[in-house]
Amino acid sequence: MKKVIEGSQAVAEAVRLARVNVISAYPITPQTHIVETLSGFCSDGTLDARFLKVESEHSALAALIGASSGGVRTFTATSSQGLALMHELLHWASGARLPIVMAEVNRALGPGWNIWTDQTDSLAQRDTGWIQLYCEDGQETLDTTLQAFYLAERVNLPVMVVLDAFFLSHTYEPVDIPDQEAVDRFLPPFSPRFQLDTKNPCAFGSLVTPDAYMEMRRSIAAGMEAALEMLPEVEERFAGIFGRRWAAIQPVRCDDAEIILVTSGTVTSTCRELVDNLREKGEKVGLLKVKLFRPFPVEDIRRALAPARKIAVIDRNFSFGASGIFAQEIRATLCDTPGHPTVFGFIAGIGGRDVTKDVLEEIYQKTKQSERPEREDIWIGLKEVPHALEHP
Amino acid sequence: MRLNIPEQDYMYPGHVGCPGCGAAIAMKFFLKAMGHKTVIVLPACCWSIIAGPYPQSTLQIPLIHTAFETGGAVASGVRAALDVKGDRETVVVTWAGDGGTFDIGFQALSGAVERNEDFIYVCYDNEAYMNTGIQRSSATPYGAWTTTTPGAQWKRGRKKNIVEALAAHRIPYVATASIAFPEDLVRKVRKARVTKGSRFLHIYTTCPTGWRIASETSIKVARMAVETAVFPLYEVTDGVRYTINYTPRGFPVSEYLKLQGRFGHLTDDDLEQIQEMIDEDWRLLLRKAGRDL
Amino acid sequence: MHKKIDTEAVSLYIPRSYLTTEGNRTGSWRFLRPRYEEKTAPCSVACPAAEDIGRIEMLTTQGLFKDAWETILRENPFPGVCGRVCFHPCEDACNRGSFDEAIAIHVLERFLANRAMRGSYEPVMERAAIRKERIAVIGAGPAGLSAAYFLTLLGYRTDVFEAADEAGGVLRWGIPLYRLPLAILREEIRRIEELGVRIQTGRTLSEQDVSDLAGEYDALFIACGHGRSVESGIPGEKSTGVRDGLSFLREVREGKAGTISGRAAVIGGGNAAIDVARSVIRLGGEAMIIYRRRRQDMPAFSEEIAMALDEGVKLRELLAPVAIRSDGGGLVLEVRPMKIAGIDADGRGHVEREGTQTEEIRIDFLFTAVGERAAETWYEPPDTGAAVLRLSHCVLTQKPGGGFVYGGDLTNGTKSVAHAVASGKEGAMALGTLLAEGMEAVPPRLASCRVGQDGAPSMEIYMRGSRSDRSPHVVTSDEINTAYFQFDPRLKQPRLLTEERTRTFGEVNLNISANLAIREAERCFNCGLCNQCDNCYLFCPDLAVKKDSGPLGRHIDYDYCKGCGVCAVECPRNALILEEEAHEEGH
Repeated sequence: MKKVIEGSQAVAEAVRLARVNVISAYPITPQTHIVETLSGFCSDGTLDARFLKVESEHSALAALIGASSGGVRTFTATSSQGLALMHELLHWASGARLPIVMAEVNRALGPGWNIWTDQTDSLAQRDTGWIQLYCEDGQETLDTTLQAFYLAERVNLPVMVVLDAFFLSHTYEPVDIPDQEAVDRFLPPFSPRFQLDTKNPCAFGSLVTPDAYMEMRRSIAAGMEAALEMLPEVEERFAGIFGRRWAAIQPVRCDDAEIILVTSGTVTSTCRELVDNLREKGEKVGLLKVKLFRPFPVEDIRRALAPARKIAVIDRNFSFGASGIFAQEIRATLCDTPGHPTVFGFIAGIGGRDVTKDVLEEIYQKTKQSERPEREDIWIGLKEVPHALEHP
Repeated sequence: MRLNIPEQDYMYPGHVGCPGCGAAIAMKFFLKAMGHKTVIVLPACCWSIIAGPYPQSTLQIPLIHTAFETGGAVASGVRAALDVKGDRETVVVTWAGDGGTFDIGFQALSGAVERNEDFIYVCYDNEAYMNTGIQRSSATPYGAWTTTTPGAQWKRGRKKNIVEALAAHRIPYVATASIAFPEDLVRKVRKARVTKGSRFLHIYTTCPTGWRIASETSIKVARMAVETAVFPLYEVTDGVRYTINYTPRGFPVSEYLKLQGRFGHLTDDDLEQIQEMIDEDWRLLLRKAGRDL
Repeated sequence: MHKKIDTEAVSLYIPRSYLTTEGNRTGSWRFLRPRYEEKTAPCSVACPAAEDIGRIEMLTTQGLFKDAWETILRENPFPGVCGRVCFHPCEDACNRGSFDEAIAIHVLERFLANRAMRGSYEPVMERAAIRKERIAVIGAGPAGLSAAYFLTLLGYRTDVFEAADEAGGVLRWGIPLYRLPLAILREEIRRIEELGVRIQTGRTLSEQDVSDLAGEYDALFIACGHGRSVESGIPGEKSTGVRDGLSFLREVREGKAGTISGRAAVIGGGNAAIDVARSVIRLGGEAMIIYRRRRQDMPAFSEEIAMALDEGVKLRELLAPVAIRSDGGGLVLEVRPMKIAGIDADGRGHVEREGTQTEEIRIDFLFTAVGERAAETWYEPPDTGAAVLRLSHCVLTQKPGGGFVYGGDLTNGTKSVAHAVASGKEGAMALGTLLAEGMEAVPPRLASCRVGQDGAPSMEIYMRGSRSDRSPHVVTSDEINTAYFQFDPRLKQPRLLTEERTRTFGEVNLNISANLAIREAERCFNCGLCNQCDNCYLFCPDLAVKKDSGPLGRHIDYDYCKGCGVCAVECPRNALILEEEAHEEGH
């Protein structure tokens, strides 16, 4: 059934349809609508789940580690500072191989307080062993959240469904909300491969010496590899029931492109329009939307970018002392491919600054006009700062 | 034969607790009283090691190791999962040291009991971060040496009164207990077991290694703590009703302190001051229990 | 087209346990090792009969009255007697005395003997196989009867020869009924006879008769006692109205003493003097004890002195008798006052005459009870000689006829029933060793049977019972962990009211209930014995104390014991020992 809803509500609907058992979350702008909607569902019986109103994000994920170890389906949502606070436990959740699903609303990190969209928060957690899926619009958000549970429970790894603050979380769009019966066909009840059980007592997470730890880490890596291999199956399964498909990447007009723009999140929608406009003017330009960030779809991306001479990666994030993070990953992906395209890394939209078609056009032109990028990261739209602190 | 202490054990020998470890004794008694329908949440503490390295476990009940500060939160989640699965019999227990209770874990504990989560939180208190090498915690008593309060820097802050802090949350049941008084401990565990909502047990557990005492005096020191009123045995129900379970024989606190190397540097003036502090605290407790005259 | 991923094939190697910690034999950490070692209680060292008192009280606490009674019988055939007349040195040695008050061991012994009688308990005794030797015992007093009893347990057929009409010696013919009822004595003698001892009464033997017996039997035990009063040596002691205390007591026991009206003086400070005074009271007279030293110097049992005074007997201390003369129908006793001038070698006050005055005391009767000795000189053991062995409670000598043991009051410094029992026991052991191994073997063998090295010999140890496994270390009061005991007052022996006592010769002490007996027995620390209180089992951090069905009900699992020592310290009664762990070569 189609309804005009916010991205946050799309998440909440998916969580409801997924029959999540335990939710634990701590409010943080702009995730609040997710937890409020879910709170309402739990309170009016629409969703039969326990909602633990914990006292911090760290405790929220801790509670889910407990609940998931107890053998039930779990969900949380957070953003920015909250995700950063959870950091220690993000590692823990994946190390414990728990299929926890989280909605992560990309928001800038302080100081200064900034509630608008920025990808640094989720990308700074890229080493924690969570599968990361980036969404462009409300429908994708709902669908991805459903798929997240399926995938998580198949490979026993936690999944982060990432959506832009305000541009996605608070933007109303028409979204097709599936029937419960269809979702039940897609997503069977959670059948844990291990759980806390007094009939079969054991200890989870004890001291592991160098003797065994390395193999356990390899096992996590293997889980990630399985997730990468499994994504097409998930895509098929979902498409078969709901008629929509979401792949790890979506190349648009890349086959004959000389320059390919690489985006993620809501910027992708703006870029689609620009690419169409540029093509109308005869530019050989394409767009690669990256949905799956972890595990990084290396083969798919190599294949998709192969035709181009230049790549312009738009990063709405930054790794200080290095460069934009998507750009880094793509450079690493391409470095061993002989004759690979030159990668231009652009930093735009930091802290919620709008990435308009003009900004994207500037990026395209800069890429077109240079053979090599003048530096690893090119920041677009920077202003003069009269009040910056100077050395005395 | 002690009539009120069940015979069945839920713990195996072969664990790596130090000789004379009070925490091991506490767990033994605790599990005897709890029975097998128990799940333990175990944040970082000495017991994280005593519980056995992979692939061993020293407990006969399910156990989940968790990050240091998460005792209260993880237990909340486990409880929720059991409820969803329809298991109302199994009791969820957080078993934490003083570090994971008084300090880094205090937030999660306070949060969980403020929600009156249905679980038992047990703090076994050896009065310092023993597992990481005897560093001070807010449970370290006034006057004690630790590796972070060495020499002239011995701890000059009072021990945090965790029982009062918990009682202030008005939870159904809070109690102190000691490994030297097993029948009292077992009675309290049994009581906690059948109470609904948040229950907190503060168990005094000697640490021969960290307190610089001979291992064989582990129980004796624990007993002296109670007999000198350093660690009174009492219960608080619903945060307001205080019951003192045992009237100490009233030995001077120096009889307790002199048994332990960690207090060896104290002068007579220091001892006198400590005695005053203990007396003051005891009088305050009597008042709360309605026993002052 | 797309590969279907088999979920189960997705690698899942997590830190999830599948073994217990039992594989870690943490016993390898030890440098000290605890061990259960039962030790010796001070009460059993002080008891002349070497009774295993700690164990007796332990069994009483558990309601195992018959087992407790049998434990007494291993060392003493006369619990009913001793539970009434013994001076209980055990109670002075009791470790509980330094905590609050000593255990009322004496009262508990009486209780157990009563129980046995009331329940008609048939004792199950350790007995050696019957031997070919036959032993004769001369004198059926407590020493002779004990000797016969223990010799029978050792397998020797024993005959007892007694001059009087009934066996018992001083128990039958001396000690008054209000201390020891006849039925009790008869029952305990019957039990000895039931073992197979043959007692022939009415057999007065001459020295020659005894020589002849020595030829007939393989060994002899002479226990004829001190049946004759020592002469007081007071001028005028032959006056009318002056009587020898011992023969008076005999008369009372024979039922031939009539009433007494008037005042009687009793000269002497021992138990006989007290018995005389208290008997006089019951026969209607007034009694006054005259003693040359102080009350605390009197050899009589202090409890007896106190009871006498309660009953109205007067005590005049520091008065020495000078002369007795008749005067009218009565007597006048002249006495001189004495004063204390120093301490004698035995710790009693040294007295000297005070001034030159004398006092005259008018009385109707006078009894002398200044000491007892053997009625015949040949009763006495030889002083010296090549084959004379002075043991702690008897004298062993070899004569042409075989081994002779002299025991009882004939050889004991302290003249008590408990010492007499010790005599009989030691004599039996000496004869048994002599007959089996020869004279040289006697001293070391007997020395090895002492309780705690300084105590009296134990028959259980001699017969190599489990008591012989105990360490001779005597537990002191600071080795008891008193944290496990509450102050609790000692049981008071219920007695007849004072005014009721003097009307009859009925027993002054009354019975106690099983409930009170158990409560009192629970006060006993059981020094050095394991009473299965479970402290070790409870407090072991390593679950290394395992329960089993052995005699202690537990053992230490040395695979896991780290030697922390908590068990040894928390054992309230020092039944464990910590020793250095023996290490392998090179460690």
